[in-house]
Amino acid sequence: MPARVDGQDLAIWRAASGQTHVWGDRCPHRGMRLSRGFVRGETLACIYHGWQYGNDGGCTQIPAHPNLVPPKTICATTYACAEYSGVIWVALQTTTQVCRSFPGQAAVRSLAIKASAEKVMEYFSGADTGVVCVGGTNDIALALQPIDATHCTAHALASVSADRKEVSRWLESQRRSIELDLA
Amino acid sequence: MTAGIADHWYPVAMCSGISSPRDTRLLGQEITIGREGEQFWVRDVHGKTLPAIARYGHLWTSPGQPNRDLFSIPEAEAPGRRLVDCGAVRVKCSPLRAVENFLDIAHFPFVHTDILGAEPYTEVSRYEVQIREEVDEVWATKVKFFQPQAARSAAGGITTEYMYRVAAPTSAVLYKTCPPRPGEWDIITLFVQPLTEELCDVWPWMALYDDTSPLAELVSFQQMIFMQDRSILESQIPRKLPLDPGMEAPTQADLTSVAYRRWLKRIGFTYGAQVVAA
Ligand code: FES
Ligand SMILES: [Fe+2]
Repeated sequence: MPARVDGQDLAIWRAASGQTHVWGDRCPHRGMRLSRGFVRGETLACIYHGWQYGNDGGCTQIPAHPNLVPPKTICATTYACAEYSGVIWVALQTTTQVCRSFPGQAAVRSLAIKASAEKVMEYFSGADTGVVCVGGTNDIALALQPIDATHCTAHALASVSADRKEVSRWLESQRRSIELDLA
Repeated sequence: MTAGIADHWYPVAMCSGISSPRDTRLLGQEITIGREGEQFWVRDVHGKTLPAIARYGHLWTSPGQPNRDLFSIPEAEAPGRRLVDCGAVRVKCSPLRAVENFLDIAHFPFVHTDILGAEPYTEVSRYEVQIREEVDEVWATKVKFFQPQAARSAAGGITTEYMYRVAAPTSAVLYKTCPPRPGEWDIITLFVQPLTEELCDVWPWMALYDDTSPLAELVSFQQMIFMQDRSILESQIPRKLPLDPGMEAPTQADLTSVAYRRWLKRIGFTYGAQVVAA
């Protein structure tokens, strides 16, 4: 599936083994979006000419030349990614930071907000880590996906015992007041 | 826009579709087209009359000074051929990407699955490509591919032979084995009207030896194929065609596209192209 982070187009896919990958959304062959491709076992195949890419992003198969071993230079752009509490995290730059985990919390809902991630962090006067923690009975954490200067998506995590409907309603009301704030 | 680009011929309408005057766009500029009896005319925004030619079912014009006649397709004039207008498909892509996709066979098994190609018959064998200097055209010959249903008139799978010809920067002609008439070629063309650098109208046109298929079926077969292509063309990044090698990775199957890009670069045709700043 496609996603956008900090203005970059990404392709997110899950191999048959369950492993998640986040790559640049561009096939090195003729620029087709890889997010439109299809998964075959542990490889992602591009929908245009069927070129297949393995775990490390390297091209493993070119159907027009079945007997050719693709040169190492043909490679999709790969990014470090991790999966915690039902949320997929990606690092667009190399980082030594370990992705934080949320024990006891699970993903509830993702909501698109017409405001930059910075504005949302400002609104909650939270840290600048991309995650806003909101205390209280439901212990909600908002993992913010920056999209561009005026858009982000908030992925809400809450304790497993929380009332999901209530969290969802709360999130919507927050969105309304953030967007009103900016209007 | 450099003069070289304005001086080429471009398709701007299907002749059968012109009744009262109407506005359209060419290379980002508004133009008006119309007819006076059997005579077609084209005018630019200032009311200046532009050259107009009605040929191959379409109306052609040029905003500049074309230094040669519109290319010809002599085979299409042979008697007994059915000439089929297909209408336009509007595509949000560079006109050059639309032409390049038309020249490409390696995508058949994946984009036109079970029609123009099917796995595991994905191999593209070596074919020949030339930039023919005398006529200033790009040609690919001896292109062969296995197809489950090559045309409306094809019953089962066959290995189809093709020739591709880029006759103008945004017009290409495909010659294809003709199932009912061995030894003859069916002709399918792709006339692309560049509305802007990232938007085009694609006018397919055919000259076939097929007396049996109903017209509506021929047209809808071709329309279906182009709809499948459109879903690809609107998802390529970048939208413009990169003319400099390095940005994209061609293989031997892409020799036609490599020659097309090289030829565009050589003749300085950069409309709809991405050229790395020097
Ligand atoms: S563009 Fe991806 S395989 Fe050709
Ligand atoms: Fe196609």
